[in-house]
Amino acid sequence: MKTLAGRIAFNLFAWTVVLVTAFPLIWMILTSVKPQFELFRIPPTFWPEQITFEHYVRLIYETPFLKYMRNSLILGFTTTIVVVVVATLGAHSLVRFRYPGRERLAQMVLFTYLLPSVVLILPLYLMMVWLGIANTIFSLVIAYTTFALPYALWLLRSFMQGIPDDLEAAALVDGATRMEAFVDVILPQALPGIISTSLFTFILAWNEYLYALVLVNTDEARPLTTGVMSMLVSAFNIEWSLLMAASVMMSLPLIIIFAFLQKYLTRGFGAGGVKG
Amino acid sequence: MSGNPLDKRYAVLGAMLIAPTVLIFCAVIVYPLVSALYLSLFTIFTPTLRGSFIGLGNYAYLVNSPEFWRSLWNTLLWTVCTLTLQIVFGVAAALMLHQNIVFRSLARSLILFPYFVSTVVAVLVWRWLFNDLYGVMNHLMLMAGLIKMPLDWLGSMPNAMISIILVGAWKYFPFVVIAVLARLQTIPDALYEAAKIDGAGAWSRFVDITLPQLRDVLVVVVLLRAIWDFKEFDLIYLLTGGGPIIATQTLPLMVYKDAFGLNDMGRASAVAVSMMLVMLSFMVLYLKLAGRGERESQP
Amino acid sequence: MSKTVSQSGHGVSRRAVLAGMGAAGSMAAAGTMPTPATAQTVTLRWWSPQTAPAQREAYNFQIQTFEAANPGVKVNFEATSDEGYPAQMAAAFASGQVPNVVTHLPSFAVSSYWQNGLLEPFNDVINMIGPQNFFEGANRIYEVTPGQFAGTGIGGSAANMMWLRSDLMREAGLTTPRTWDQLRAACQRLQRAPVFGAPLPYARNSMTSLIFITFVHGAGGSIFTPDLQVNVENDAFRNALEFYKSMREFCPPGATNYSWGDSLTAFVSGATATGIYTGRVLANVAQQNPRIADFISCQPYPTISTSVPHWTFNDFPSVMIPKGAPNLDVTKRFAAHLFRADGYIRQLHAAPGHVLPVLKTVYESAAYQENALIKKYAADVQIMSQQASAGHNLGWETVRHKPNTKAGQIVASHVFAEAVQRYVGANEPMAQVVSGVARRLEELMRA
Repeated sequence: MKTLAGRIAFNLFAWTVVLVTAFPLIWMILTSVKPQFELFRIPPTFWPEQITFEHYVRLIYETPFLKYMRNSLILGFTTTIVVVVVATLGAHSLVRFRYPGRERLAQMVLFTYLLPSVVLILPLYLMMVWLGIANTIFSLVIAYTTFALPYALWLLRSFMQGIPDDLEAAALVDGATRMEAFVDVILPQALPGIISTSLFTFILAWNEYLYALVLVNTDEARPLTTGVMSMLVSAFNIEWSLLMAASVMMSLPLIIIFAFLQKYLTRGFGAGGVKG
Repeated sequence: MSGNPLDKRYAVLGAMLIAPTVLIFCAVIVYPLVSALYLSLFTIFTPTLRGSFIGLGNYAYLVNSPEFWRSLWNTLLWTVCTLTLQIVFGVAAALMLHQNIVFRSLARSLILFPYFVSTVVAVLVWRWLFNDLYGVMNHLMLMAGLIKMPLDWLGSMPNAMISIILVGAWKYFPFVVIAVLARLQTIPDALYEAAKIDGAGAWSRFVDITLPQLRDVLVVVVLLRAIWDFKEFDLIYLLTGGGPIIATQTLPLMVYKDAFGLNDMGRASAVAVSMMLVMLSFMVLYLKLAGRGERESQP
Repeated sequence: MSKTVSQSGHGVSRRAVLAGMGAAGSMAAAGTMPTPATAQTVTLRWWSPQTAPAQREAYNFQIQTFEAANPGVKVNFEATSDEGYPAQMAAAFASGQVPNVVTHLPSFAVSSYWQNGLLEPFNDVINMIGPQNFFEGANRIYEVTPGQFAGTGIGGSAANMMWLRSDLMREAGLTTPRTWDQLRAACQRLQRAPVFGAPLPYARNSMTSLIFITFVHGAGGSIFTPDLQVNVENDAFRNALEFYKSMREFCPPGATNYSWGDSLTAFVSGATATGIYTGRVLANVAQQNPRIADFISCQPYPTISTSVPHWTFNDFPSVMIPKGAPNLDVTKRFAAHLFRADGYIRQLHAAPGHVLPVLKTVYESAAYQENALIKKYAADVQIMSQQASAGHNLGWETVRHKPNTKAGQIVASHVFAEAVQRYVGANEPMAQVVSGVARRLEELMRA
């Protein structure tokens, strides 16, 4: 790696790998700006012969895309906040407090996580009806908690195990209460972990499909994943151009969020391991 | 932590902090879980949730059902293969992105893209790439002279299984990259300097220094990813629907088909419960092995 | 059956309790809302999986005209989907929160729900529409219990029309194939790279199952006997499998994953010389590939010989009212309103030739015929309408057959699609495949 030639070769190699990985993204963007009649060329054209943004315009002005986008954003943020707040408190408790059953609890959390989503659907739906919130965004928030909470709890627990005990002990010696110590000492230390857990949770909520397919069916509550599918993919037609444009726009918020939070995301995993 | 004398007095506060978690778990997971166990003892017509008690009849049926065993085998094959690829690619890509390459943060963003993109979108894009007539994959391979006829990526074996494994690996390896990259940044450079002075080559530095340091994080990552992969539904359902025949039908797909296609919620629940038991036994084994490894490495 | 009844106590009580709790919850919610007692609004929920933008427009028109004629009534349209509706209907029935009207589900779903006591009788609505306006026999498939209708058709479809390209046919000097042998010969002549002969599906999905069923009838057989005994271990069934296999070489490699959309697009884009689909082809060609618009036409799909009549698959998109739907009176009027000529024709014109009218009064009306595509392809639309009105499906294989309320589950089990894949793709021996199908059908019928 010392020589210049070696460096160039390595860079070329690395970027080839990156571009191959991102090829579907590139193809998605290229397809989304091709006019529809160019799609079904045999053989396919690589560069668009003609660039058009009509699919984006149609998507925004002629379909409920923005409404679905709004729902997905509400859903993503609400789920993330609920899950991360609960999981942060829970993880703190699991790592820093002693009470009977604490060790078992962490394992139980993972155990409940093993049941496939498909069988949870009907019981969950009945519960939503019982709570009077069936067919709303909030019912999806609750449903997503089923898989996001165990995940978040484990990530945060693993992260918080990496924070030295001495810090909290020092704060307590200075006369702080446990909660004060948590807010003043633990939270700032855990912030990178909390941010990366939030991102993971957001990604989960943003991309979920099955629950959204079954649990809601009004446009007022439908998120992007199922909204785009039911709008553009039907038995008799797949609107490839619109679909690719939608995909690009669905990925954008995540790419933007990631660009800002990248350094936290990659710092999220502490040195903690599995201490079952 | 263990030496803190204050701990006992704070048990109540600790319990209060974990209480929301426990409550939510009881409501949204334990209740459905118990109902799944309960339903698996009945033969239940899904739209009415009415049915009759048959004890362990559903389980007896499954034990004798080749479809169940085939689906279990498919699930294990898919999980092991795609997980292995995710870990190998993930660690390799993390090592690569840890080096100084030009436009490193852009490269990192692009590598992580597959994980961001929703499964629905990813699957549709891949189906578009795999398309036999207008797909660019076949076109490129035809141009390169690798194949003479467009390849059937998703509809015949073993292509279909290989395709879902590869797409699964592509979709989820960035998760491993994120975790490993974060850990790599915390390994002190001094360790590598010392090894270099001792004359260790690149490979032995990787095996002797990097891997042991990555161990903890990989233990968690493998556990979480294994559970997710085992439960994966969207990706396989949307890519192949379980076909050809039942060659890529994994257990979650079988649950879905039984529950909402055949309207037999009881049998679907029985499949789900069996699936959970399989996962549970693997998990217990895994945690035991991981725990033992930990004690050995930190005597 | 008796076992179900005697043991149903668990289910009933659980369901009743849950439904009760749900009702209590929604009542409590309603109580807190500031609704003045005088301005009584009735809200109806309408579900459908057919939600293309043009169709949505037509639905909105129908909703507006109904709301205008019935002050205080509000109709909410809610989209379900072909993949999602079984689970969503299950959830709705189990919770007791059912929609008022559900349209466009296949007829066999309706008869299955009816069989389980989940639907309101539809007689009143049919009487409101006027039974004499329907095409002869259009409602027979819904008469699961004699004298009582489980629902009615909102349209007809002729799903297995053979679509041809007259330009390619002329070039090759071919005439319209009537028998399987002629079709194979034609495909052979028409298949010239990059154009394939036909887009038949060989996938594990319902399209493959349904197309295969049409081939069994095309071979002169049927899946069940008229009194619903399994009837697959015979020559007709084997010939159908054999024919399906012999067509594989004329279909694109990716046909192993084809569903309706892929098959349609293959023909519309010009990648295959023949097609198999409903009249949706017309709209899609006009939109996506107008170059071939003057060279397409359709005929009933060939059969094994001229002595075997055509058998057209019609999934009879339906209308039904779930049991327990609130405001039954308004609901029924709304269901009947869907058939009022102005709105109904808009709905049909949203996809000309795809959904065909069930009312002969509408079909004959000038307003219906007044559509660019229906005019341009008048002969094709007429053939499709005739075929659809004489059409059948697995829920009702011939006029002599009893309605089969298990049809939905049988298709969803993929037993036929798997048989095709076993015989064509995996080359399993015929006898083994056929006996496997027989065994699974028996099992499904018993369940």
